[in-house]
Amino acid sequence: MSEIRLNNVSKSFGGVQVIDGISLEIGSGELVVFLGPSGSGKSTLLRMIAGLETIDGGTLTIGGKRSEHLAPGQRDVAMVFQNYALYPHMSVRENMAFGLKNIRMATSEIDRRVQDAARILEMDALLDRRPAQLSGGQRQRVAIGRAIVKEPAAFLFDEPLSNLDAALRVRTRVELAELHQRMQSTMVYVTHDQTEAMTLADRIVILNNCRIEQIGTPMDVYLYPSSRFVAGFVGSPGMNFLKAELSATDGKQIATLGNGSDVALSVDLPPGAYELGIRPEAVQVRATPAATTGKAAVVEKLGDRTLVHLHLDDGTSLTALDGGRSEVKPGDIVHLDFDISQLHLFDSDGVAHHAK
Amino acid sequence: MTPTTVRRINWVGGIFTVLTVIIAVLWAFPIYWGIVSSLKPEDEVVRPYIELWPETLTFRHYWFALTQTQIGSWYINSVVTAVGVTVLTVSTSLFAGYAISQLRFPGRTVLWWLILASFMVPTQVLIINHFVLMANMSLLNSWAGIILPQLIHPVIIIVYKQFFDQVPKDFREAAAMDNASEWNVLFKIYIPMNWGVTTALSIVTFIWAWNAFLWPFLAVTRTEMMTITVGITQVYDAFGVYYAQQLAAAVLAGIPVALAYLLFQRKVTQAITLSAGIKG
Ligand SMILES: Nc1ncnc2c1ncn2[C@@H]1O[C@H](COP(=O)(O)OP(=O)(O)O)[C@@H](O)[C@H]1O
Ligand SMILES: [Mg+2]
Repeated sequence: MSEIRLNNVSKSFGGVQVIDGISLEIGSGELVVFLGPSGSGKSTLLRMIAGLETIDGGTLTIGGKRSEHLAPGQRDVAMVFQNYALYPHMSVRENMAFGLKNIRMATSEIDRRVQDAARILEMDALLDRRPAQLSGGQRQRVAIGRAIVKEPAAFLFDEPLSNLDAALRVRTRVELAELHQRMQSTMVYVTHDQTEAMTLADRIVILNNCRIEQIGTPMDVYLYPSSRFVAGFVGSPGMNFLKAELSATDGKQIATLGNGSDVALSVDLPPGAYELGIRPEAVQVRATPAATTGKAAVVEKLGDRTLVHLHLDDGTSLTALDGGRSEVKPGDIVHLDFDISQLHLFDSDGVAHHAK
Repeated sequence: MTPTTVRRINWVGGIFTVLTVIIAVLWAFPIYWGIVSSLKPEDEVVRPYIELWPETLTFRHYWFALTQTQIGSWYINSVVTAVGVTVLTVSTSLFAGYAISQLRFPGRTVLWWLILASFMVPTQVLIINHFVLMANMSLLNSWAGIILPQLIHPVIIIVYKQFFDQVPKDFREAAAMDNASEWNVLFKIYIPMNWGVTTALSIVTFIWAWNAFLWPFLAVTRTEMMTITVGITQVYDAFGVYYAQQLAAAVLAGIPVALAYLLFQRKVTQAITLSAGIKG
């Protein structure tokens, strides 16, 4: 029983309304990622759960307990800070024990929990060191250890990997996923990195301008983005966006691209001007004439796959994903096909409509 | 780097070294002169020409200062009042600096401006008030009377506030998540993270208090209650001032401060830089 429920919460900073009526449920044992660009309100929302920002309106329930008026330490949540915030003058052991001492836990119990956490995180040997004597990755572990010893209802992470180098980030990401599976605890994880979100999340909450754009499993969000914003933010390389004119003749729908090519599709939309979205893996390079042609500008060989960056006649840019042994060279005229089951149309309000 | 630039830098460095040495000698000479003179017989001291070494070396004046004056009491008075001033100033400033830096309460800004403003008021201006106040409280000729007016050191509060301001907000938040009380945040996190500042400020405050003259001079009239800085002015007899004797007493008075400097050289320099940044 450690679900988190936000009901119509709001927050303003000095008269400026930042969070305006957000409602959200995080299930017990679920790992939910808040994903969004910088300034989208991820940290603010997380800090409202933690109690580091006051909640101006609405209610917060953690593990069935109304919590919006509780002090941070009393909400039964633990937070891992982006800069770790390890107390520099305390040893690793003292850092982990500090929060437990403050609630007058018995020394024997504190020792047991510190030992357990050290074992889980494989840092028994580091317990008597100071944070300054640790590497970035080790500090990260201590920060997580400091949260684990509290045995909280929920863990809150604010961009915990952003201070690590690329290789370590990938490794730590996997370790976090393992930790979550082993502990089965509720976790809320903030990041601006869509790869982290895709790989870790049970569900992703996508934020933009301090509003929830979409909530869904990683594959939901990837395959069926609810808006132009989500479609562009999730996925790497990013989705292609092309101008398209939708028309219907004899009951058949056709989207006409800027270069005049027609793409047949089926979607519940009236004729008109739309933006057509398609991921690079749904743009196929063909040896024989196909839906349209483009001129390869840059070819990125990634080993297992090849990214072909193209221009259509009208200047529209487009990226196609080809096999690792692709023969396309810059300057080549390339035939392209679209996987019409993976097409999205975005109306002028940015709302997504998925092809059937 | 080419050999010529290396040579030029050595050359410039050499000039600086020479200049530094000259200035150091200029600074140190009076101290040397004082010590040497205190080791000369009185008649040698008043000779009109400069003698860099005593013709007759004598410890008579030290013996005199130690046996014929109340220097023992003065030492005790100085130690008690200087330590008292240091402990009280540093501990109150610590709380004040923390409150102004970290807590939000009504009147915080006004209080801060008052502290900044009081820092513009030289102690000398207040000294008559202090005197009347201490006299009314019957604290003249007492340790408390010497200590209390010396507790006003806004600069210490200002330095503490600035250091506490620089502690990243994350630590405060981590402590809040860790259920730490305000008291624990101050004593387990902010103070230990700034030990260097506390040591440095304690040392300078001690040195200021030890060297204080004007106020202890006014606050005390009974010889046995004098601090050493005031006491050494009493080293004369019916026949008038004896320079060598006075210098011997002055040297004895300066020893604790000199020791403090020697022991905590780095800290003292750091502390002086800290407070100088504000004192201007
Ligand atoms: N303490 C604050 N005072 C004023 N505005 C703030 C404060 N904290 C955050 N904001 C504003 O709230 C919005 C969301 O910020 P934040 O939650 O930090 O975004 P993110 O973590 O997604 O980058 C931003 O527009 C930011 O300027
Ligand atoms: Mg943030």
